[in-house]
Amino acid sequence: MKKLLYAILLVASASIFVVQAKAQVIVIANPSVKVSEVSKSDLVDVFTGASTSLKGSRVTPVLLMESVHHELFLRTYIAKSDGPFRNGWKSLVLSGQASMPKSLPNDAAVVEFVRNNQGAVGYIGDSTPHDGVIVLTIK
Amino acid sequence: MNRLLVSALALALGAIPAAAQSLDDLNIQIHGYATQGFLYTTQNNIFSTNSSNGSPAWSEAVLNLTAVPTPKLRVGVQARYFLLGNYGNTISLDWAQGDYKFNEKIGFRFGKVKTPEGLFNEVQDIDSAYIWSILPQGIYPVATRTSILTHLGGVVYGNIKLPAKAGSIDYRAWDGERIIASNDPLLASFTTKGFGFPNGANGNIFGGTLRWKTPVQGLMLGASETGNNQGGQATLATFTGTTTTQTFQIPFYFGQYEHKRITVDYEYMRLPPHYTFVFTGGPTIKVPLDFRNWYGMGTYKVSDKLVVGTYFSSSINRLAALDSSRYQKDWALSARYDVNSFVYLKGEQHFLDGIGGIADAYSNTNNTIVQPQTKLTILKVGVSF
Repeated sequence: MKKLLYAILLVASASIFVVQAKAQVIVIANPSVKVSEVSKSDLVDVFTGASTSLKGSRVTPVLLMESVHHELFLRTYIAKSDGPFRNGWKSLVLSGQASMPKSLPNDAAVVEFVRNNQGAVGYIGDSTPHDGVIVLTIK
Repeated sequence: MNRLLVSALALALGAIPAAAQSLDDLNIQIHGYATQGFLYTTQNNIFSTNSSNGSPAWSEAVLNLTAVPTPKLRVGVQARYFLLGNYGNTISLDWAQGDYKFNEKIGFRFGKVKTPEGLFNEVQDIDSAYIWSILPQGIYPVATRTSILTHLGGVVYGNIKLPAKAGSIDYRAWDGERIIASNDPLLASFTTKGFGFPNGANGNIFGGTLRWKTPVQGLMLGASETGNNQGGQATLATFTGTTTTQTFQIPFYFGQYEHKRITVDYEYMRLPPHYTFVFTGGPTIKVPLDFRNWYGMGTYKVSDKLVVGTYFSSSINRLAALDSSRYQKDWALSARYDVNSFVYLKGEQHFLDGIGGIADAYSNTNNTIVQPQTKLTILKVGVSF
């Protein structure tokens, strides 16, 4: 019986590891954003405040609060941890060059915001339902 | 100019109720930061503090309010409290502006706006933006931020993507008026020698900045050129008169390279004002200055919370006498620790040689004889939100 329990525990642990290893983030946008594919550098510019448009479409980024998907997005695209990333935004805000983007508590809130706001772009886990928004391909 | 500023701000602020349905629609945001510093020098007193005995007389707090009444228009205002030794201890208007952005290629700001010259001028007052407790003093003297940070007028800005994957250019151009208060440390090297400026000094300022984000990942090269003149009433003993400068050019050349955990910066600046004092029934005194200032700095991100760095800076007045008042050189070792996303700690050690410099760091203190070399230790805690 003990051996069976240990085996189940081992398989469950391995499954968690596999699921986490496969977790990815996707970038979503309001249908008003007339692009389907953007470069990584253009995406980084939008989410660091350096730009407010994607291929001519005015966009408004929205962030996740600290979470697995937020950390994954920063690691994949921005190459900064949360502290320096938000400090970068604060510098722009405190020098009058930008407004701080909204930070939402979870993926569902991001989907709802992006669906209902013209020009909104955000990021969620790839397994999160995302009806009513478009998924951007990042080159 | 002040009437124009008030009118422009009234226009911008008047757009808020006309365009908005609710506070949420306005996207009103409040941000700010506060810092408390401690200074200790092995000899000399610095920045008008009693630093040779250890001084906590260095505090700063900023409150920032912005609103976005339409997608292309942002208005904002920032107030600042600043205390450094005998300087400041008042609440001042840091900046107040409307910002209309047509598209990525062109936008403009108007009001009391930050002057986008050099590598760090727009962020020099945002302590949370960088590792350093004080930026290289030859180009960004801490005591004179109030004067050199902003001007009254406007800035045109934009980003232009270059063809053939040559990167992109950020450009800024500005024009307006720069006002220096009568008790500003920028004038300390004159006031400590008996000159007075009853109404401060002001004059026209104009210029441009180009920042080239090169095709090399992480490399930015830039240059600025500012044209400035200053003038105002002046006194010396019982004499009254005026002071003027001819328009002088202030060039900046700078570069920045970021790669993984390392950032390297370099900047050169020349400041050559030639002051002429004309006193009624008294002498005419010419004071030419020609500062050639530069620094090189590097930082290394040890972990998500800890960054360390060092810089060497040099400031030389090529027209000064050949003694330690002609120059100031500074080796700095620095560290910053982020306790969390709101609170950070800074520690910095300076090895200073020479008593020259733009804002004469040793003026307005109790120094009897200023020694040519001193070590400066800085500790600082900051909160931002």
